[in-house]
Amino acid sequence: MPSIIIRFIPFLLVLAAQAVTPARADLGTAPLRIVASNYPLAYFAERIGGSRVQVNLPVPAGEDPAFWKPDAKAVGLMQKADLIALNGAEFEKWLVRVSLPKLKQVDTSDGFKDRYIHIENAVTHSHGPGGSHSHGGTAFTTWLDFEQAARQAEALAQAMIRKRPEFKSSFTENLAALTSDLKSLDTEAQHVLGSRSAEPLLASHPVYQYLARRNALKLESVHWEPGEMPTAGEWEALHKLLAGHPAKTMLWEAEPSPEIAAKLKALGVAAVAFEPCANRPESGDFLGVMKRNLERIGRTP
Amino acid sequence: MLRHDLYLAWRYLSFHKTRTTILIACLSLMGTLPLGLHSLLDAGERQMTARAEATPLLVGAKGSSVDLTLTALYFGEAASPAITMAEADRVGASGWADPLPIYSRFRVKGQPLVGVRLDYFDYRKLAPKHGELPALLGDCVLGHDAAENLGLKPGDTLPTTPENLFDLAGVYPLKLHVTGVLAQSHTPDDQAVFVDLQTGWVIEGLGHGHTEQKPAARPQALPFGMAESTLQADARLVTYTEITPENIDSFHFHGDPAGYPISAVIALPHDRRAATLLKGRYLADDLKTQIVEPPKVTRSLLHNIFRIGALFDGVFALVGAVNLLALGLVFSLSLRLRRRELETIYLLGCSRATVFKLVLAELVLLGLAAAILCRLLLLAVDHYGETWIRQFLLS
Repeated sequence: MPSIIIRFIPFLLVLAAQAVTPARADLGTAPLRIVASNYPLAYFAERIGGSRVQVNLPVPAGEDPAFWKPDAKAVGLMQKADLIALNGAEFEKWLVRVSLPKLKQVDTSDGFKDRYIHIENAVTHSHGPGGSHSHGGTAFTTWLDFEQAARQAEALAQAMIRKRPEFKSSFTENLAALTSDLKSLDTEAQHVLGSRSAEPLLASHPVYQYLARRNALKLESVHWEPGEMPTAGEWEALHKLLAGHPAKTMLWEAEPSPEIAAKLKALGVAAVAFEPCANRPESGDFLGVMKRNLERIGRTP
Repeated sequence: MLRHDLYLAWRYLSFHKTRTTILIACLSLMGTLPLGLHSLLDAGERQMTARAEATPLLVGAKGSSVDLTLTALYFGEAASPAITMAEADRVGASGWADPLPIYSRFRVKGQPLVGVRLDYFDYRKLAPKHGELPALLGDCVLGHDAAENLGLKPGDTLPTTPENLFDLAGVYPLKLHVTGVLAQSHTPDDQAVFVDLQTGWVIEGLGHGHTEQKPAARPQALPFGMAESTLQADARLVTYTEITPENIDSFHFHGDPAGYPISAVIALPHDRRAATLLKGRYLADDLKTQIVEPPKVTRSLLHNIFRIGALFDGVFALVGAVNLLALGLVFSLSLRLRRRELETIYLLGCSRATVFKLVLAELVLLGLAAAILCRLLLLAVDHYGETWIRQFLLS
């Protein structure tokens, strides 16, 4: 009798395995490998894909993705991905110097390219590991207009569905939740910034063009870095700017050094950090960072 | 009894080695030539059809559809007229098909230099056997045979060949970096040197970098003086351009990318309806481009080859008949020469039937040997035919 039972054990094991397999069928599918060129896109991909995607942001921490240049290793990573999520609007200036499969690329802002903001008279300057650069051409922080961000998320979701149609319902459901969050954020931004639409504002860097347009802000930009004390000439230029554009608030990509903040305060200008969040934040996520940005502006008199 | 006849026939044929060898060779070739030719034609048809069947639609300049197909699929030397990238964008924007632009205008040391997007490798299921696919501007990946012919491996460099030695205003050759060697695919891809389209346009002269020039060494020595900031190109002319990590950022393109040249666009329609709709876009007579179906073009081309095959069949049948008559004559003359020998066999007590069986056994052995040789030659043709076709017909 025991020998009969032993003989049946493999058979029973096979049956048990078959019973378990259908329930795990979709888990067996390899995750969709996505490489994103900036953090907002990586965040959208993670929100839309959930556990069904493996998102990679090849830009090193602390580096500005807009001025990052991929090396052969990073290009190899992108080549092996199933989907390469690009911001468009000339964000990926390195694109013409690398070999990437076009059919795997999705330009998430292509749907509103007629709404790109073109910058003239750009200044070339230098900071960080990327060396000297210019903000000329097209304004690329498209996601700071949260309505545009939602359209970028939708374009990304469509591309993900094309790659993995079997997960369409899941991706669509997650996109709806993300779109709802971005809509709430947009409403909050309009509420916080709308009250300042008549007020002149300053920005330390020309990266808030879409935020300004969406919320009808009167924003003028300089080219200052949070950790570098501006030169006497730059302070002089600010004085002249303030004479015609009497701003009381200056938006910064990160908290400026206490010396800069103090000197600005002496001029009657409050420094407020509004992080564009182009790279992955040290803590929190895209929505959290944007909410904190709005809270900081809201608290500023 | 039959065994003895065959033994005697075998001894006789072995004794007359030269004559026997010639007879076997003639008989076997009579069978091998037509059958071998058909085997080669079949191999050619298989290879050409397989590649064409995998390429549903092809967009290129108006003109010869055969030239267009041979350029885009087989990287033939007679390049078809160029079209622009706008055509690839147009195919992509239609939403009916995915475009795969191909630029195969140049050759490097006799190998076709083919500019593609990386999607081409996925589409043709080409993967590197050694190294990696091109990653940066100036990289190239070699087909299996191209790597063997050029004697290159990943990490080596390959300067492109200038189009015209007497074009002093022309662009410098570009020193390509070999990043990988593709696994053998037994297709024309094995012969090619692949670069990214953008690298192809740098070779074309549409994109370039700027080399730093050194200040003039002795400005005071010049008759009209020279400011210290004056730059002077080095007298030792740069003989090639190389894209390095140091200068890659200075490389840029001029003009509208939509106007950049390509040879053709492989269009991969999403379904049959999309293919029909796309073909409909190219019906107007005033267009400078055409859309062709490579399977149809190849079938038409093969139809002509088969006509040549039929002609060969006729020729072989005629030659075979003449050969058979000549062999019959040789054999009858041989019997006449052997009359005394056969008479002796008869006088020894063998019947006329036995003598006839002896002669028949010789014929059977000759036929058998010829059939075996014919089969061996056909096996060789079958084995090497695909390679010969690739080397002499497709490459």
